[in-house]
Parts: sequence; structure tokens; C-alpha cells
Amino acid sequence: MNMVVAIKQVPDVPNIRIDRERMTVIREGVESIINPLDYVALEAALDLRNRHGGKVVALTMGPLQSEEALREALAAGADEGILLTDPAFAGADTLATSHVLARAISRTTPFPDLILCGMQTIDSDTGHVGPQIAEELDVPQVCGVSEIHVDEECLVVKRVSDGSLDSVRVTMPVVLTVTQHICEVRNLPLGALEAAFSEKSIVQWSMDQLGLEESEVGLSGSATQVWRLRPPPPRREGRVFDASPQELVDHLIRKLEGLSVLDEEEEDQ
Amino acid sequence: MRKRKTNKFGGVWVFGDYRNYFQNRVTLQLIAKATDLARDLKTEAAVVVLGQDIHQYVMEYVAHGADIIIAAQHPQLKDYEVETYTAVLDRWVKAFEPEIFLAGATSFGREFFPRLAKRLHTGLSADCLALEVDPDTGLLVQTTPAFGGELLAEVVTPHHRPQMATVHPGVFQERAHNSEALGRIIYPEIGPLPVPRMKTIRSRRQQSHKLNLENARVVIAGGRGLGTKDEFQMLYEIAELLEGEVGATRPAVAEGWAEEDRLLGQTGKSVKPTLLISVGTSGALQYTTGIQGAETIIAINRDPHAPIFRMADLGLVGDVHTLLPLLLDVLRRRL
Amino acid sequence: MEYEESRISAHHNYLVNRVLTPGFVVGKPNEDKGFFLLADLVLPGESTPRICARLLDAQGVLLLELEWNRIRENPGMCTHRPVPGGFVIVLPSEEALMEVRTESFANGYITRIKARLFDETGQVRSETLGESLQVRGEAKLVLDSPFVFSRK
Repeated sequence: MNMVVAIKQVPDVPNIRIDRERMTVIREGVESIINPLDYVALEAALDLRNRHGGKVVALTMGPLQSEEALREALAAGADEGILLTDPAFAGADTLATSHVLARAISRTTPFPDLILCGMQTIDSDTGHVGPQIAEELDVPQVCGVSEIHVDEECLVVKRVSDGSLDSVRVTMPVVLTVTQHICEVRNLPLGALEAAFSEKSIVQWSMDQLGLEESEVGLSGSATQVWRLRPPPPRREGRVFDASPQELVDHLIRKLEGLSVLDEEEEDQ
Repeated sequence: MRKRKTNKFGGVWVFGDYRNYFQNRVTLQLIAKATDLARDLKTEAAVVVLGQDIHQYVMEYVAHGADIIIAAQHPQLKDYEVETYTAVLDRWVKAFEPEIFLAGATSFGREFFPRLAKRLHTGLSADCLALEVDPDTGLLVQTTPAFGGELLAEVVTPHHRPQMATVHPGVFQERAHNSEALGRIIYPEIGPLPVPRMKTIRSRRQQSHKLNLENARVVIAGGRGLGTKDEFQMLYEIAELLEGEVGATRPAVAEGWAEEDRLLGQTGKSVKPTLLISVGTSGALQYTTGIQGAETIIAINRDPHAPIFRMADLGLVGDVHTLLPLLLDVLRRRL
Repeated sequence: MEYEESRISAHHNYLVNRVLTPGFVVGKPNEDKGFFLLADLVLPGESTPRICARLLDAQGVLLLELEWNRIRENPGMCTHRPVPGGFVIVLPSEEALMEVRTESFANGYITRIKARLFDETGQVRSETLGESLQVRGEAKLVLDSPFVFSRK
């Protein structure tokens, strides 16, 4: 089974800090990591390859620095890495991003049976890229997958959607977006990362090499624009108490009393 | 009724997502917002409904404020199938040319709307916290969290139409049911449908208990600061004593201390309780967007500089491992 | 693209020609004789449909007159029988002439009418198609307000 896993290099979001004066993100000292759910998708692909044979290609669109993410994917066991990089790609929304990724996937040989990515990223969290790649490649999609089984020419997958656990049969090729339940993530074997740097090579494709025009990619190829950034909504800033545990609990109880939350028989509406 | 031909209609559309209708009120909330936006744009609010037995939902949408219903009834529309719905709505959007198209960020909405936006080659913003018409340009200003949620981004779709957005349940407020409402209903043709390439072969309802976070009067929410699953479990007893529900932050859900359906925040639920007690949560915007509607917020955290204290009406700086057992003890004796 | 347009009420609608409508009338309700079928608006607070009709057989002979769901004149010797959700008008042959059933939802109602009806020229003016009543000929398919008879 031939597979492409689309991965995204993202800032380590929980450690991000904001310069509130200039309304920008402070990138120094913040690590870049593979989006956790994309890493899970990669593991799921490797597991399928180990059981059913085939090839796993890791694909990413980003600045040159994103090569680190591909190295890590190769170290985990991916067979090939493709880096889509070009200054023109910057500022892309999901419409433009999915266009570049879909174009690259259509040029991988052979065309994959399965395209995988994480259900959402920790930085932008939209979950749009998977469905938009599927639309451009004219293949079906199933999102939020937690289990994958191969059934001859089809896949049978499990996913939760709006309160129901569904079993879905879908033809290949197909785009699947996965959740953290799909598999365990292993630790990288010792020496794998160094080996990936020296042995496996990464292919780089630019805008021209993908046969794309500037108007189709990056900011020019986007339909949405960020007009303005603003600080979050005004806060409340009530009283903060730093005192002994007993005093703190007393404050809390008194507040609950004030809100009538501790009253016994409430009139039912 | 009359037979009509289309001409450009403009309009603010809402996708009628009626799965789990009585629990999932997001379509009704979006109808309320759509009518406001429609008034600003001097146009009408329409709800698009596809399915097989849609009569009662169509009437509910009119009762909750829809000016127009655009509907199709057909056996092949019975299941919420992404490619089928994309084909029908692509055809209708091109025929009627709405200005704006909104959908709830349900599981279905989150995977269907991006595909439709791509088919229409237009912009889509996700998980909007606010939607307003800019008075100067007439553009829909879509406010979404940015940089992992630390800032808000105002996003616009200047040159592509419709301007599409998904919104989480709880961001907007539905209008009251009005039995006297009348609306227009139109039944356009659906055209040829694609042969589905996927089929749901089995479906099992998930929730064993009826979690009702969105309507809870009291919510106790826990974050990573609780440290262990056992500590987190104490919140359930507190919630029971106060007749409330338990919510969780993304890190707590990721740790496996609570199920996804208890997630509060940007990609989870928005709650508007009378009282929210937030325990061991730092206060990231991704989380606080889900709780800012609470009337009173009490926060407990070990770190006096935690951002959550900027959101709280009452802040307690202390170790949850000491405070929670003390609190439970008092509550058990009182209630 | 062509499309059908109608109006709907939040409270109660009939299913006619496969679309929902708050009320409709077929035929000539304001004449002294001749076929008509009126399904009037059901306002909030009410839960039963409001049907008036003058029903004829295939030869154009009067069978019965209905006034607000009740039989008024009955030369055809029909019977009015309640059924779950509504009523049925039955001919002496036990064949159902017209069936009216109302489905109730959490916050509203839909009435489905099944009837094969003829006018004074012997033409078929209504038939059942699936769950909907298909009507033909002179008709006002959407009533904007409660019907007011201008005869009597």
C-alpha cells in the first residue's frame, strides 16, 4: 500500500509567548516540532506498511527549516521525504496550502492509495487541509479516524462523528485524517536520527518544479487575509487571595454562599 | 406556490445541521446571528436543509427566525454524506450566489464545509468567536483565535464569495421559538448526484450518560495542574455536590483524565453557567474562549501569575492538592 | 435554475404537491354548488386541521359537505370515523373517500390528506402521491390568512 503522510512543522505552542506591544509572536527560544497528530498519522502509516507492504512518503510545505521535521519522519521509518519550499509559498491559507500539497501528491509516483494527516494542528487547529486536498485530488475523505483495516480494495475505518461511533467503508485512493487514538507512538530507536541525516535524502520541490504560478500559491493564492490582530477580550481581574489553605477555602465558601449555590431546596423552574 | 427562475439572491445562508437536533442547537444560534448580519447587509437569512424527513426541522428553523428555507427532500440525501452534499450545495451556491454561508463546527460541518469551500474556490475561517459586517467595506469580519490562541485575528475574504465560516456551539444565542412565524420555502432541483465512494456500515450512539454541559448552571473545570487522574476525579464529586457538570482543558483530555465531550474551549464546548470553578488551569486563550460567558469565575492555581487570574472574579493562589480535599470536606458536611 | 416556492408556518402546515403550505383551497368554495376542498390555517394554540369541502363522485353528484371537519350534508350516506391523529370519511362501500391525519412534533404539526376527488365535470382534482396530496385545476395553494367565505 503506497502512502503519503502530510506533516506540518509547528511552533511548540504551549511554550509560545506574545509580544503584546508589537502583537507578534516571540519565536526565539521556541522549538519547532512535528504537529503531534501528524506524527501519530506517520506512525499509523508505518504500521500499515509493516503489515501490508508498500511505501511511506513524508511530505511537508514550509521554510527550509522544515527539513528537520522530514528528517525526524525518516528516522521514524518513512521511506522518502519531500520538502515543498519556496518564498512564494509564505502567507498561505488552507486554500493555497492544500493546492500546493495536492499538486505535489499528484506528482508522486506511484499515486498513493492512502493520504494521511492529523485531524488538526496545535497552531491553527482548523482541520481544513485534509478535506481540501481530497477535494482537489477528487478522492473521498474520512475525518477523525481512530482505526484502519484493509478489506481487499477498500478500507474499513472507525471514527466518532457527532456522538456516534461509525464504521465506514471507503474506496481507495482516500484521504484520512486521524485522532490520537489511532495508535501508540513509539520512541525513536537510538541512532535513527543520525542515520536519517547521513543515509536518506530529501527531495526539494519549488513552485516552478511543481508547475505552479505565483497567483496560485502563498498570500496571492489565498482567499482569506488577516486584516488585523487584536488582544483577547477584556478580562475581569477580581480579587486574588494568597493565604493559608483554610482561609482560601473559607473565601471560596463565602463566595458560593453569596451566589446561593449552597442553598438547600431550590425552587425548580 | 410559484415556479421561479433564479437570479442573484445574495443573502446570508446557514447550513441546517439537524443531526442530534435537540442537543445540538448550533444551527438555531447561527440563524439568530445570520438574521443580524442580513439586516446589516439589507438582505435575508436563509437556512439550507437537505435530507429525507426534514419537515419538522424546516418548521423549527422558521420558528427560530429564518426568513427563507432552501430545501430538498430525497432518499439519497438521507445520510450526511460529504461528497453528495458538496455536489448539491455547489450547484445551489452557484445558482443563488449568497454573500455569506455559515455552518456549525460540528464533526460533519468541520469536514464538509472545507470541501465545499475548496469546490467553490473561496475562503473559509474556522471556529469563529465573532462575526460582524464592517460598515465601511461591507465585508464579513471573522474573528478567530491566532498563534495557538494567544491573540485574536480578524480575518476577511475580500475577493471570493461566498464568505464562509464555521462557528462553535455556544458562541451565539438562539432566538426564542415563535409559533406565529411565517417563512418562505423554496425547493430547487438537486441535479445529478455523485455515486458515493464511502458508506457508513454501522453506527453506534456514543454517550452513555446525558452530558449537558451547555445548559449546566454550575461547571467545575480541571486542567493539567491537577497532576493525576485521581486528583481530577475529585472534581466529579464536587460537581455532584454542587449539582453541576465537569469540564476539562485540552491537556487534561490529552492525558486521558476526561473524555473529549467534556472539552471546553476553542475546539470544544462553550459554556455560560452561573458559576464556573477553574482548577489547575493556566488560562490559555484556547480554553478561556469556552468559559468567558460564565457569570462568575473562580480560579484556583498555584502560580500567582497564571493568566487565568485575569479572567476570574475570585482568584485563589494555592496548591490544589491541599485545597481540594479541604473543600470537599466542607461541602460534604454542608450538603 | 427553476424552483418551486411556497410559504410555511412555524406551527402547522399541510403537505400539498410535495411542498409544505400553511393552508390551501381547491375549487370554488364561494359558489353554492360544485366541488371545493379548503384546508384552512391552523393558528398557534390549535392542534387540529380545519377542513371544509363539498365532495362529488366521478359523475359529479354530491356525496357530502364537510364543515370544519364535521359532516353537514350527507346524500352519499358516508360515515365519519376517527383514526389515530385525525379522521376518515368512508363511503357506504367501505372505501375511504378522504383521510386526514396530523403528525405532531415537539413544537409543531403537519397534516397529510389522502383523497381522490372529482369536480362537477368529472375531472380528477386531487390524488395521493406518496405522503403528499397532488391537486390540479383552479386552486390557491398558499393561503396568507384564515379563509373568509364570501357566500352564505
